[in-house]
Amino acid sequence: MIDYLLLIFRVLVFPGFTFILFFTMFCDWVERKIEARMQNRMGPSFTGPSGILQPLADFIKLLTKEEITPCESKKTVFRFAPILAFSVLVFAMCFLPFDGSSIIPNVSFAGDLIFVMALVSVANFLLFLSGWASANPYSSIGAARVLTQFLGYDIPLLMLAIAPAFLAGSLTISTIVSSQWLPFAVLAPWAFVLFIITMQAELEKDPFDVPHAESEVVAGHETEYSGGKLAFLKLARDVQIVFGAALIVVLFLGGANGPVFFGLPAFWGTLWFVIKLLAIVVVSEYLTVLFARLRIDQVVRANWRILLPLSVLSLILTISLAVWIYPLV
Amino acid sequence: MPSKEIDMIKVLETKLKGKPVQIQLGHLGTAAVQASAGAYKDVLKAMLEADEKTAVTAITGIDLGANIGVYYHIRTSNAFITIQAEVPKENPKIATVTDLMSGAAFHELEVADLLGVVFEGHPSPGRLVLPENWPEGIYPLRKDVKASEVKLNPPSTVDEKLSDEGKLVKIVIGPQHPALLEPEKFAVTVDGETVKNVEPRIGYVHRGIEKASESRTYLQDVYLVERICGICNSCHATAFVETVEKILKTDVPHRAKYLRTIILELNRLHSHLLTLGHAGLEIGYETLFQYFWRDREPIMDLIEIVTGNRVISSSMTVGGVRRDIKDTDIPKIKTVLTDLRKKLPFYKEIYENEPSLKMRMQKVGTLSKEDALKLCVVGPVARGSGVDIDVRKDEPYEAYGEIPFKVITYTAGDTWSRMNVRMDEVEESINIIEYALDNMPAGAYRVKVPRVVPAGEAVNRVEAPRGELFYYVKSNGTAYPERVKVRTPTFANIPSFLKTAIGESIADIPPNFVSLDPCFSCTDR
Repeated sequence: MIDYLLLIFRVLVFPGFTFILFFTMFCDWVERKIEARMQNRMGPSFTGPSGILQPLADFIKLLTKEEITPCESKKTVFRFAPILAFSVLVFAMCFLPFDGSSIIPNVSFAGDLIFVMALVSVANFLLFLSGWASANPYSSIGAARVLTQFLGYDIPLLMLAIAPAFLAGSLTISTIVSSQWLPFAVLAPWAFVLFIITMQAELEKDPFDVPHAESEVVAGHETEYSGGKLAFLKLARDVQIVFGAALIVVLFLGGANGPVFFGLPAFWGTLWFVIKLLAIVVVSEYLTVLFARLRIDQVVRANWRILLPLSVLSLILTISLAVWIYPLV
Repeated sequence: MPSKEIDMIKVLETKLKGKPVQIQLGHLGTAAVQASAGAYKDVLKAMLEADEKTAVTAITGIDLGANIGVYYHIRTSNAFITIQAEVPKENPKIATVTDLMSGAAFHELEVADLLGVVFEGHPSPGRLVLPENWPEGIYPLRKDVKASEVKLNPPSTVDEKLSDEGKLVKIVIGPQHPALLEPEKFAVTVDGETVKNVEPRIGYVHRGIEKASESRTYLQDVYLVERICGICNSCHATAFVETVEKILKTDVPHRAKYLRTIILELNRLHSHLLTLGHAGLEIGYETLFQYFWRDREPIMDLIEIVTGNRVISSSMTVGGVRRDIKDTDIPKIKTVLTDLRKKLPFYKEIYENEPSLKMRMQKVGTLSKEDALKLCVVGPVARGSGVDIDVRKDEPYEAYGEIPFKVITYTAGDTWSRMNVRMDEVEESINIIEYALDNMPAGAYRVKVPRVVPAGEAVNRVEAPRGELFYYVKSNGTAYPERVKVRTPTFANIPSFLKTAIGESIADIPPNFVSLDPCFSCTDR
């Protein structure tokens, strides 16, 4: 009985749905605030202390807005793509060990890293479908850009993700985390840096945010969306960003590993995880602020000509240095 | 061949011997050439052969009673010549000059719209300024039009579909679009991500200011023309008052000239900073945008210190300026300018060397020097393509003749060059303002002028932030002008965008377009 209650608590409250939802909004606020301060602006300041409730307010506001479904859109896909994308991403999050173990206990299995990466591709594909179903030229161009970009960048991303898996000798996320008493970011920094850059492209952030180039394609695949559906599209994007950062933490920064000073290890684990994740969010936001948006052809070229060969090289480097790295794992 | 030495008058006198033309020196620019219906093209041809920098600045249509005057205002490297032709009102037909100079196409369309002159042989006749449902046969700038007679046709009920013909998709940019801050429409046909064609449609916010100014006094018109454009308002006001002063033959006090120069340069400064930031926004470089606009604020404050107003300065008046500068304000102005100058190397470094910015701007929207000349582009667009035209140097007005400054040119002709021209001009503007403040002559800052302007006509050009701004004013001896013609720089620069956008990616449209510094409230007067 107590097991069931614990499971329900873990899935619904902590570190499951509620935690992920509010933590996503918190990360959104951190991003907005950091970006604003770097650009000499104030950022959100009125809703809650320092505007911390602004993402929640935005979400609730969008939920109350009128929803319009264009008459020429493919209605089923148009309606369900945003909520499905959000659900798939939250589901993928369940495999990440926020407090040392994955959200649903004992769900981890051999090769769940590949499964999680596949779920992200599905979520991306749903975002593409959301634009494709809108029957709007801006949406279809934006959707085509989403597809072009994630199809291209998935390959180097997976290749780079293999490096920590290789070092840990397992494709299971929990094993990868537990073998990092010394984070892989220290052991294989080349893969870590490349992974951050590729993740930037995968998450469609500057300089790779071509699907969201508002001066070219208005709002891209989101153009026709309004109300609650838009709220979930935006939330799905924010969850995606948190997921990307969490994946980096899990693969390269040792997940929830960290010194436990007193009390519950789960508390300290979550704290370390959150701190590492926020650090990654800050770095990613720093890159966003620093660069202009590239053109779609430049983004694709950067992938095939630079990142893909580099990720292959990084894998070769990891394998060839494995003899010296293994004693440290 | 050093073009400065061409004596255009002599060229015209020798080449046009025996032709039915009359040259009137010192009228409407360097000279006015009265050419009967056939000969105006010969004049233009002769000028083109003599000077490669010959370009159409504007075409003024004017209702002369029985006839309609079509005035071609032509600029060359060192002269400004008006070719006056007339066509009968009953049968207003005249051959197009677009075969000689493709940049005249837009100007001809406008005259056709507003005065009903038929330009025979025009490559793309059609509506440019008037709405689609404007009734046929009513031409707003003719004197016999009564507002009560204008009955608009019912608006077209045919919805413009976003066509999807095979592989080509038609994307409509505007009238409402995040990349355009003002309403104009560009229908872009794309194949995948490549632009195949661009069809412009302007006139969405046309306010009929040329017509409206005919029913206001000269003094009221100063404030009316200022409202053509919020950003370069002082340039419009200056251009207008200078034109009226030319008809009145007023001698503007020396101090007023310096004050005007300072206001004009402050105008240029804030306009350039605005565009340089806005370009950042268009290429997704928000940080650049925020930084530039932060540094633009103190300049707006300076405009308030000097003129009393932040945006529409209302500082020009016929015969001088309306407000003197306080001696106590001069140190304040200098402090702000010094602060800005300290920040410039950082911005220059970004615009010259930032890799992601260069990737988005270099080799985008390249306009060759030949095309720039042929399309009659002006201002930073022309200077970015290596055409060194700048009215401040070519035909110095106000205090520009006495102040040393450089004309910035870049030769690549791409978006990057055009933005860097502006980047360098910011520094030149600061130099000009500082020089003017240091060398400000004492004396009166305005003279009283009569309200009634004697009959006459005059043309005038000033270098607005976006390029050469042209005014033509005709007076009929009353307190109200007979005709006011305004040709704004954006109107002259749009054709270059239509040419350079084709064959590039849709993603190149925003940076390419913003590098013209388009101002549609200028374009739609």
